Amino acid sequence: MKLAPGILATLALATPLKAEDLTIGFAIAKSGWMEAYDTPAATAAKIRIDEINAAGGLLGRQIKVVEADTRTDRAESAKAGLDVVDQGAEMMVVSCDYDFGAPAALVAEGEGMNSFFLCAEDVKAGIQGVGPNSFSSSVLAPVQGATMAEWSHARREARTAYVLEDTFIEYNKGICKGFDWMFPQLEGASIVGSDTFKNDDASIASQITRIKALPEEPDVIMLCSVMPGAAAAVRQLRAAGINSLILNGSAVDGSYWLDATPDLSGFVVPVQGSIYGDDPRPEVEAFNKAYEAKTGARPASQYAYPGYVLIDLWAKAVEHAGTTEGAAVTAELERMTDEPTAFGPRSFTPELHHQNTALMQIIEITGGKPARVDEWRISQPVPLDVLMGQ
Amino acid sequence: MSLQLLFDALALGGIHAIAALGIALIFGVMRLVNFAHGQFIACAVFALILPSADALAVLGLGRLPAPVLVPVILSVGAGLALAAEALVFRPMRNASPVTLMVGSFALGVALQNLLLVLYGGRPKAISLWAGLGHPVRIGSAEVPLLQLIVIAAIIVILVGLALLLRRSRIGLEMRAAAEDFGMARMLGVPANRVISGAFALSGSLAAVVALVLVAQTGIADVRMGGQIMLVAFIATVVGGMGSLSGAVVAGLGIGAVSALLQAGLPPEARPFRDAFLYAAVILVLLFRPQGLFAPVGTRTRV
Repeated sequence: MKLAPGILATLALATPLKAEDLTIGFAIAKSGWMEAYDTPAATAAKIRIDEINAAGGLLGRQIKVVEADTRTDRAESAKAGLDVVDQGAEMMVVSCDYDFGAPAALVAEGEGMNSFFLCAEDVKAGIQGVGPNSFSSSVLAPVQGATMAEWSHARREARTAYVLEDTFIEYNKGICKGFDWMFPQLEGASIVGSDTFKNDDASIASQITRIKALPEEPDVIMLCSVMPGAAAAVRQLRAAGINSLILNGSAVDGSYWLDATPDLSGFVVPVQGSIYGDDPRPEVEAFNKAYEAKTGARPASQYAYPGYVLIDLWAKAVEHAGTTEGAAVTAELERMTDEPTAFGPRSFTPELHHQNTALMQIIEITGGKPARVDEWRISQPVPLDVLMGQ
Repeated sequence: MSLQLLFDALALGGIHAIAALGIALIFGVMRLVNFAHGQFIACAVFALILPSADALAVLGLGRLPAPVLVPVILSVGAGLALAAEALVFRPMRNASPVTLMVGSFALGVALQNLLLVLYGGRPKAISLWAGLGHPVRIGSAEVPLLQLIVIAAIIVILVGLALLLRRSRIGLEMRAAAEDFGMARMLGVPANRVISGAFALSGSLAAVVALVLVAQTGIADVRMGGQIMLVAFIATVVGGMGSLSGAVVAGLGIGAVSALLQAGLPPEARPFRDAFLYAAVILVLLFRPQGLFAPVGTRTRV
């Protein structure tokens, strides 16, 4: 009976084995300056993974995490992507920023896998820049700028605005584009001037001189900037005695930089959820507590949240598709319209793997203390040509 | 408006001038372009806060009252530069200028990563002397107190340095070393003393830049020295490599042109301010390839 061992082997293969783990690869910065931005979102993603595993896993399989370090380096990012693929990743989570995440995301795209940016807010971090299976669960920068425009017009009677753009990264341009698109559409509102600076300018004295030369102080100053330049600009604006309401994007959420301008007031940012314990949605505070339990500290900014949301959305799509195969999951994700998440509804379409409108919480800093004061969803989505910067 | 512009230009140019002076000093005595100078600045800034990767910075040295803090931070800068000289550049003393330059790059990267390990990658807020930002009215201009202090500090530093170089023994030795290092040594100028002196001075100038930057922006960032270092290096080239007064004039000039361009360019061209600035630099170098004030020692004699 020479055949017997072969038959036995076939039988053994046919009987259902214990389901293998499902692997998610994190090709993210674990060192270098980007680490400070990737780690909180990755930690949040792992919190959602732990929750899913505790509830029985995904497609009956436990989720396993493998990681590779991009070292905040574009070339290393591609290598990290290959590394997690070699370790058996079926979906890839990549760095927050488009520039540092895209090389790894392109590796995933080449494998027909889904990739999610941890918190990219540039439209390129998706179909337009990486390919059909790439997503970001964060809220596009122009939506943040447009939210600030419409909210300040409606709730703070802003009629004159001054736009101060930091030319450092695409994100800043996105914020300004959204504001420039929305604000002049509003009744009686106009942009009375604009200027640019560089994030690492040692002084913005000339820019301040130009604002002070205006016949009247503008109602709001749309500051499109990120740290550290944003804090430096706010400090210099306030020191110069300019008291306009200052608006910015989500990127400067957090209280860690407020010492730069003691007793700052009249500074507003839109966020996906409040880290300050005053979000009206109990899920948000539940997450903040879970994050604190895992890391020993509450999130330092809202940028932990998109990590949680991306795993949540992807896992739902995988459940519906019954597979982790990229194209099938993409099709399920693109069917999502106002899909509820802990941090507000999310939608994807075959044209856009980002949020072109979102319910945002409004955080205002008064006397050096940040607090949620309102929420706002823009009255119309930001059109694709504005998102693409045309 | 024009008076305002003058103050804006002086304030920005002043920071660049002090940074350029720090680079020119070292280049003068040992033909080393110290690309780690930017990281010296960053280290002096971070010395103000306690090492921790937490998002919220806790002031350490920064708590000291200003009359104590300023000399302490200046000595931190000087100490760092002296350590760098003793551990990195002294063993490389006889290497070619290119090797030295690569060595300084390596030192810069090492220092930056050291800061990343100790403090994490997130920028930190430092509330230092917030009152200095308040504007003071001078004629038609409104100038933050800090700008006035910066301008005054530059004058003090320049006069002090000029006196040191012209009147003191170490100054004489430094000037001799800058002119012709080999000849100076043969005539009995102690090389180690001169070079250490230049490094200590350069390090404390980096600390001055650090204090001004922190007071101006309220922020500590691991990458913060990079841009200043670049502009300062260009200023030393434009001023004439090795010429101290050239570095100061060019540093002031570059800052002033930058402020003028920011004020004068139409809005569409303003994002390209630095392109115009560097075009002006190229123009200067086309007409004066050796820089504006090339020291006698660097001229080739046939």
